Amino acid sequence: MNAPNLLSARPVFVVGIGLHQYQRRSDATYVSLGLTAVRAALVDAGIEWADVEAAYTGTALLGMGASRIMLSRLGATGIPMTQVENASASGSSSVAQACLEVASGRSDVVVALGVDKPRGGLGAAPGNAGINNLEGGSVVPFTHFALLASEYMNLHEVSDKQVAKVAVKNHRNGSHNPFAQRQKIRTLDEILTEPISGSLTRLQCCPVGEGAAAVIIASEDGINRLQIDRSRAMQVVASATKTEGLYGDGVGIDAALTAETGGAAFEEAGLGPADLDVLEVHDAFAIEELLYAEALGLCQPGEAASRIESGDFDIGGSCAFSPSGGLLAMGHPIGPTGVGQIAEVVRQLRGEAGVRQQSDARVGMAHMVGIGAVCVVHILRKP
Amino acid sequence: MTTEPRHPHLLKMTDPPTMVGHRCITCERVAFPPDPYGCENCGSPASTFEQWDLEARGSVQAVATVHRHHRSTPVTPFTVGVIGLVGGPVVKAIVEGVGVAVGSTVEGFLAHDEPDNEGNVVVDLRFRVVE
Repeated sequence: MNAPNLLSARPVFVVGIGLHQYQRRSDATYVSLGLTAVRAALVDAGIEWADVEAAYTGTALLGMGASRIMLSRLGATGIPMTQVENASASGSSSVAQACLEVASGRSDVVVALGVDKPRGGLGAAPGNAGINNLEGGSVVPFTHFALLASEYMNLHEVSDKQVAKVAVKNHRNGSHNPFAQRQKIRTLDEILTEPISGSLTRLQCCPVGEGAAAVIIASEDGINRLQIDRSRAMQVVASATKTEGLYGDGVGIDAALTAETGGAAFEEAGLGPADLDVLEVHDAFAIEELLYAEALGLCQPGEAASRIESGDFDIGGSCAFSPSGGLLAMGHPIGPTGVGQIAEVVRQLRGEAGVRQQSDARVGMAHMVGIGAVCVVHILRKP
Repeated sequence: MTTEPRHPHLLKMTDPPTMVGHRCITCERVAFPPDPYGCENCGSPASTFEQWDLEARGSVQAVATVHRHHRSTPVTPFTVGVIGLVGGPVVKAIVEGVGVAVGSTVEGFLAHDEPDNEGNVVVDLRFRVVE
């Protein structure tokens, strides 16, 4: 079945962004984190909470019923509120649902929020699926990606220092981001200390803390009715979600899934990898940026490490990868992460990213993968 | 006191040990671990599966030594390998000993694990380099 391109038939825009800094677990409640982000997004859009017609909350760790007790403190307007869980892509999926709601014509103004606080473990359901394997808990996510790093480095004759340079770049970007959990410039020597698994070190693994991010999604009707500043409204031209298929024994599922989902997003947008000026990628572990740069077609297989070293994926290069600092430096509080990526892409397309600004950015992508495996990709364009 | 495998439905305690997977009769896909629900390739229910023995031998495709772990066992550092079995499926498992590298040929053996609550000896499948 060929689905209608709803985003083309009824265009949708991100008109407001707001964040609560990503940080280590604190005494702050998730309610205060979430309200900080939503209030900031409303101010950014120049609208009132009463103008919002629906809300989607992306969270993986909070439990049932998180939305109403939080958002009703902006006014109990009785709007529909839906909680979205899709592992690390929970926030991305809340954005996807908000875009669909506006594109379908059901609403004109919708908020997509991501909020989470860490708890003991991730509570991932696949571990309770009754399908036991030999790993017995010995292969946690950082070892899964350490094994992918081993395979990649061996196949393409890339060194651990070359992979670590992804983290040098993203920590540098994060040092300029006031919402990032890690805001320190790190040398290559610092990055290479404290081994965790395989070639991956502590600073090549993302911190999982707490935080919140919110974006306001609106139609042209909503923009006109509420007199929202059109020059700061960035269009969502693709929203693609896929789950893992069968790619054959020994194939890296995360990259294969990314290639499929990214391809679907490019097709929906009528764009290609050469059009991207900014890319917020799921760099939970340093090796991922290399894998996904190649999977998304920004360079040839085996070429990503040299492109990183050349500065081509820096701010100011051909495509700025993770200008926010990415998951490695900005952090990965789970629910907020995918929404925060959209906020950074919007900031870049508006030209409001300050020292992190990619000059003349017109097209940006946000990419998340999650346990399952799932993948969600959005492409935004400056109208 | 007895000797029991940690994962009795995944192993036969032969010498060398045999891994127990499944084969879908409909599409002939061989998979490990055996699945109790259905075939990811063709959707046939697990009732159409046959047990499929796999030789615990293969080639290392990737390797990582784990320095931090959230549990007390396995004791760190330990090494995990991605192993392409000669029978087709690719598994992740602990590889013991020295000299493991991408391309190494490895073979399974039963290693002593933590005893169970009754004091019985528990063994689990590990791999080690043979070439």
